[in-house]
Amino acid sequence: MLKTIRYYAGMGIYYIKLSLLGWMEYPMNLAAWLGTNLLQFLVGFATIKFVVQEFGALNGWTYSQIAFLYGLAMLSHAFSIILFIQTWHIGGIMLAGELDRFLLRPMNVLFQFLFMDFNLIGLTDLLPGVIIFIYGCMQVRFSWTLYSTLAIMAVLFGATLIRGALFMATGSIAFWTKSNSDFSGINLNIMDRTTMYPLTMYPRIIQMIFTFVLPFGFISFFPASAFLGMDNGFSFPSWIIWFTPVVGIAVFTLSCLLFCAGLRKYDSAGS
Amino acid sequence: MPLIKVNDLVKEYTVIKKGKGLKGALKSLLHKEKEILRAVNHISFSIQHGEIVGYIGPNGAGKSTTVKMLSGILSPTSGEILIDGLSPQKDRKRVVQNLGVVFGQRSQLNWDLRLGESFELLKRIYRIDDRQYQENLAMMDAILEIHKFIHTPVRQLSLGQRMRGDLAAAMLHSPQVLFLDEPTIGLDVDGKQAIRKFVKEINRLKQTTVILTTHDLGDIQELCSRLIIISEGTIVEDGSLSDLIDRIAPYRILHVELYEEAELPIHPLAEKIRQDGTAAVYRFDKKKVTAAQLIEDLSCFCKMKDFRLEEARIEDIIRAAYHKKEKLEGV
Repeated sequence: MLKTIRYYAGMGIYYIKLSLLGWMEYPMNLAAWLGTNLLQFLVGFATIKFVVQEFGALNGWTYSQIAFLYGLAMLSHAFSIILFIQTWHIGGIMLAGELDRFLLRPMNVLFQFLFMDFNLIGLTDLLPGVIIFIYGCMQVRFSWTLYSTLAIMAVLFGATLIRGALFMATGSIAFWTKSNSDFSGINLNIMDRTTMYPLTMYPRIIQMIFTFVLPFGFISFFPASAFLGMDNGFSFPSWIIWFTPVVGIAVFTLSCLLFCAGLRKYDSAGS
Repeated sequence: MPLIKVNDLVKEYTVIKKGKGLKGALKSLLHKEKEILRAVNHISFSIQHGEIVGYIGPNGAGKSTTVKMLSGILSPTSGEILIDGLSPQKDRKRVVQNLGVVFGQRSQLNWDLRLGESFELLKRIYRIDDRQYQENLAMMDAILEIHKFIHTPVRQLSLGQRMRGDLAAAMLHSPQVLFLDEPTIGLDVDGKQAIRKFVKEINRLKQTTVILTTHDLGDIQELCSRLIIISEGTIVEDGSLSDLIDRIAPYRILHVELYEEAELPIHPLAEKIRQDGTAAVYRFDKKKVTAAQLIEDLSCFCKMKDFRLEEARIEDIIRAAYHKKEKLEGV
């Protein structure tokens, strides 16, 4: 048992090292991504600033508070891209026969799949995320105590898993449809719109859906409103922050089960 | 006990039939007409430790499907597979630890890595200890000369180099069983020769059991001590190439040319097919009479200027087997 854990931990680190080596082969690629991504997010953020300044607060949220929310959401977005980008195109990976290769190795297939691609492009999302989050923290005078630091870490952990779970669940549909459908565009859009703005600005029914059906509210909105003492629309108490890692682990486990069920259904793509 | 045992193996695919055009497509949305295709149809065979077996058959006969089931990628619809006593489906991780698999059409190497980095990764995945790794790497290098491109990224390798890299990668963990699915496809003559040399060497040095699928007659003649021929999902032949030739094409043809026109006699052990002036053609069963004997007998009756022996072509024999013909016509 201990031996197995040590084996997988060692392999995980080694896969990450190999991905870094792979990226090092093409440094210009990384630089180009960094440039465009940074620009994309700064423009996005400038748009919010314009909207808030022109029309006043968004549903009671000031510009500073939205910066905090936006930054928090971007951090888990970046982590999910670093760790889980391969879940965006399970169908393509399956059709290309990559899964056959995983099945030929004496190692857990889900593990190989999750660690196959440690994606450095995600670092280019992380940088603007960090900038905006620090800016937001300064604006709202966020107090960094041991409790709040741990809470932020727990939220980022859970939020990353929630995002990963959505991508993995929608990607696993490919096992049944046997097609290369890519839901990542839609998924990213939904998550941007539900995590970077206060959920309370949407109609009640939408709030319900993104709390109880697709729990994206836990990615950034519920934690941020608890940290900032804002209304979350459901009168959730402030310890709702700690629900994010719980929800994250739960939905990620579910999506893993879906992946494994799909894998059992998988008939190799022929040759 | 055989190393590989396959018993009554069946693999079916369900295909949804679609009608023609938009109307047909809409109709099949409402009412799905399913068709079951049986790719592998009640196959049984056993393979002993150290054999080199050619698993051959026409395109779509079920070769790759069988190899994929043997290597644990696909699950059979019914039937049983045991590799060294274990099922590749139930005990996947333990079985593949003892298995090397190479697909000619699809590399198992990581495109983004240099070849040597791919080997290092495999060393860790299979938990190969340093000594064994170094020994195997040295052996693979001696046979395949991989040191020339070990630091090249896999995506930049030529097809021949990539195949050699793939073969070396498949042998690093000293598997007892090696599956090669069309390993020489698309390779030039040198490339093919390198692959064949590799198969012979690992079989000799490590007693590795090899199953290879191929369409290349050179592979079949040079490598396979045994052929399993599959056609439309069932085994039609299982034996050595020479047995197959003896049974399907037992005859040889002797062309005789004389100095001057003379009526050649009928030989008790050979059939005179035709005579055209000074040229005559005999067909004889090579088990009943030798060519030398026949020529000696005939030269008692006439003065022979020249003669030529014709054998059945391997290609024709294999094709006859694919079509389940008992005897080769013509020859």
